[in-house]
Amino acid sequence: MTARETLAVARLGGRIYWRDKQALTATVLTSLGLGIGLPVLMDRVRAGDPSVVAAQLLGMLAVVLTLSGFNQSAVSLTARRDQLILKRLRATGLGDGAVLGGELLNIMVQSVLIALVTTVAVVSLTSASAPRDPILFAVFVVLGAAVITLLGAAWTTVIPRAEVAAPMSIPFFMIAGLGAGAFGPMGQLLPGWLTTALDLLPTAAVVKVGRATFSDGTFAGDLQTAAVPLLILSVWAAIALLVISRRFRWEPRRS
Amino acid sequence: MEAIQVDGLRKSYGDFEAVREISFSVARGEIFALLGRNGAGKSTTLEILAGFQRPDGGTVRVLGLDPVKDRGKVRKSTGIMLQEAGFFPDLTVAQTVDSWRQLVPAARPRAEALELTGLTAKAGTKVRQLSGGEKRRLDLALATLGRPDLLFLDEPTTGMDPEARKATWDVVTDLAAHGTTVLLTTHYLEEAQRLASRMAIMDKGAIVAAGGMAETLAAQTGRVAFELPAGVEIHDLPVEVTAVEGGTVICRVPDPDVAAQTLLGWAGERGLRLRGLEVRTATLEDLFLDLASKENA
Repeated sequence: MTARETLAVARLGGRIYWRDKQALTATVLTSLGLGIGLPVLMDRVRAGDPSVVAAQLLGMLAVVLTLSGFNQSAVSLTARRDQLILKRLRATGLGDGAVLGGELLNIMVQSVLIALVTTVAVVSLTSASAPRDPILFAVFVVLGAAVITLLGAAWTTVIPRAEVAAPMSIPFFMIAGLGAGAFGPMGQLLPGWLTTALDLLPTAAVVKVGRATFSDGTFAGDLQTAAVPLLILSVWAAIALLVISRRFRWEPRRS
Repeated sequence: MEAIQVDGLRKSYGDFEAVREISFSVARGEIFALLGRNGAGKSTTLEILAGFQRPDGGTVRVLGLDPVKDRGKVRKSTGIMLQEAGFFPDLTVAQTVDSWRQLVPAARPRAEALELTGLTAKAGTKVRQLSGGEKRRLDLALATLGRPDLLFLDEPTTGMDPEARKATWDVVTDLAAHGTTVLLTTHYLEEAQRLASRMAIMDKGAIVAAGGMAETLAAQTGRVAFELPAGVEIHDLPVEVTAVEGGTVICRVPDPDVAAQTLLGWAGERGLRLRGLEVRTATLEDLFLDLASKENA
C-alpha cells in the first residue's frame, strides 16, 4: 500500500461522495441537522447554562461520528461490495490495503469535517464556549472518526446484502448517543453495568476527552484524562483491524 | 518462460468441485481460449489466475509469479476484464477513464483509451445510460489502460452487437500482435476460433479437450449436408449417412472434401442434382456437440 495509491482511491471516493445526493442527505444533512439543531435548541431551553449546551454538543458528536463514520462506512462499503465496485478496484494494480484504506480515509475525512463544522457552528450559535484545548479535542475527533470508520468496515462482515446495511447499522448511533448523553437524562435510567459498558464505546472515549477540554483544567490534566480513552480507542482499532483482516469480503457471497 | 503455467489446479465451493485438477500453459504473446458452457469452471479458473481466489490445490504461476502471494506485482503487469464488475453509475465514460488513470501507473491517455474501444462519441455519457455492450467496451478500456503484458478477458463480447464484437476482436488481435498475452474465456465458439491459436475446453470443472486450434479441429470429423434427391433412398448413397433432418442428409466424415467429390461424381453419373450442398471442415461447435454426445452416451 502506498500513500499515493491510498490518496488516489480516497480522492475518487470523495468525488463520488459529493455527487451522491442520497449520501449527502442521509449523512451530511442529517448529521449537521441533528448535531447543530439539538444543541441550539437546548441553548434556547436552558438559556445561560453553557455547560449543558457543551454536554449536548458532545453527546451529539457521538451521534454525528457514528452516522457519518460507522454508518456511512458500513453502507457505502457494502454497496460497493455488492455492486462489484470493490472487485473492479482490486482488478487494478492497487493493493487491497490501498483500496480499503482509501475508501475509509475518504469517509473518515468527511466524518471529521462534519464533526468540526458541527462544533464550530454550535460554539458560534450558542452560549457554549470553545474548547480550552482545541488541538487535543481535534486530535481525539480525528482518532475517534478513524476508529469508528474502521469499525463500520468491520461491521460489513456480518451484513448479508446492501439493502439491509442501513437498518443493521442504525441502532449503533442510538446506542452511541445514549451512552454519550445526547438524549438528555435518559442515560441516568440505565442500570450501572450498562452505563459502564457504554463508557467503553469508542464514541464515549471521544466524549470523555471532549468533556475535559470543554471544562476548566490544565493540559497535563487533560493528557491524564486522555490516557484511558486512548487505550479504549486502541483496543477497538485492534478489534476492527483483526476482523477486517480475517473476515472482510470483497465480493457478495456466491451462495 | 510461459506467461501462465497451471498444474493440477483444484477449487471447490463446499461440496461443489468447480475446478478439478486442470493443467495447461499459455506462451507469451499467445491468445489462449478457455471454452466451456456456463458453469464449466472457466471464470473460477480465471479468477484464480488473476489472484482473486486462492486455489485449494495445484500450482499456478502467472508471469513467473504466484498470483495470490505476489498479487500486487502480478496485477501491475496484467489487465483484467471481468465477467461481472460494477461501475460508478453517475460518472461519465470520460470521468470513469480519468478516475482509473489515477489508479493505474503509466496509463494510456484518455483519448487513446476511448478511441481504442470505440467509445469516443460516448465520452460525455453517464455510465448508467450505456448499453450492456457499451459497458463491456468501457470494461475493455479500463482493462487495457495500463498497457498490460497479460490480459484476462472473461466473456469479453457478451451483450455486444456484431459490429462492436468485430471491433473488439480487432483490438484483441492488435494487442496480441504487439506482444500482449491474452487468456480469453468465452462460450462464443466463433470468437475463440477467430482469435485463439490454442484452446482448452472445460466441462464440469475438468479439461476435456485441449491443444492447438487448427490441429484439434483437423482431428475432428467434417460435415457434408445436402437435400436428398427425389427417388433416392438413403442406402443408395455412396457415403455413410449420420442423420437425416427434415429431408436434409447429414454426413459426418473425416475428410469432407473427398466425401463431397464422391457424392458429386455419383450424382453426375445419375443425372441428379445435390441441392443445398454444404461442405465444411469441423468447427468448434462440432467439437462441442461431439463432446456432448459422448457425455450423453
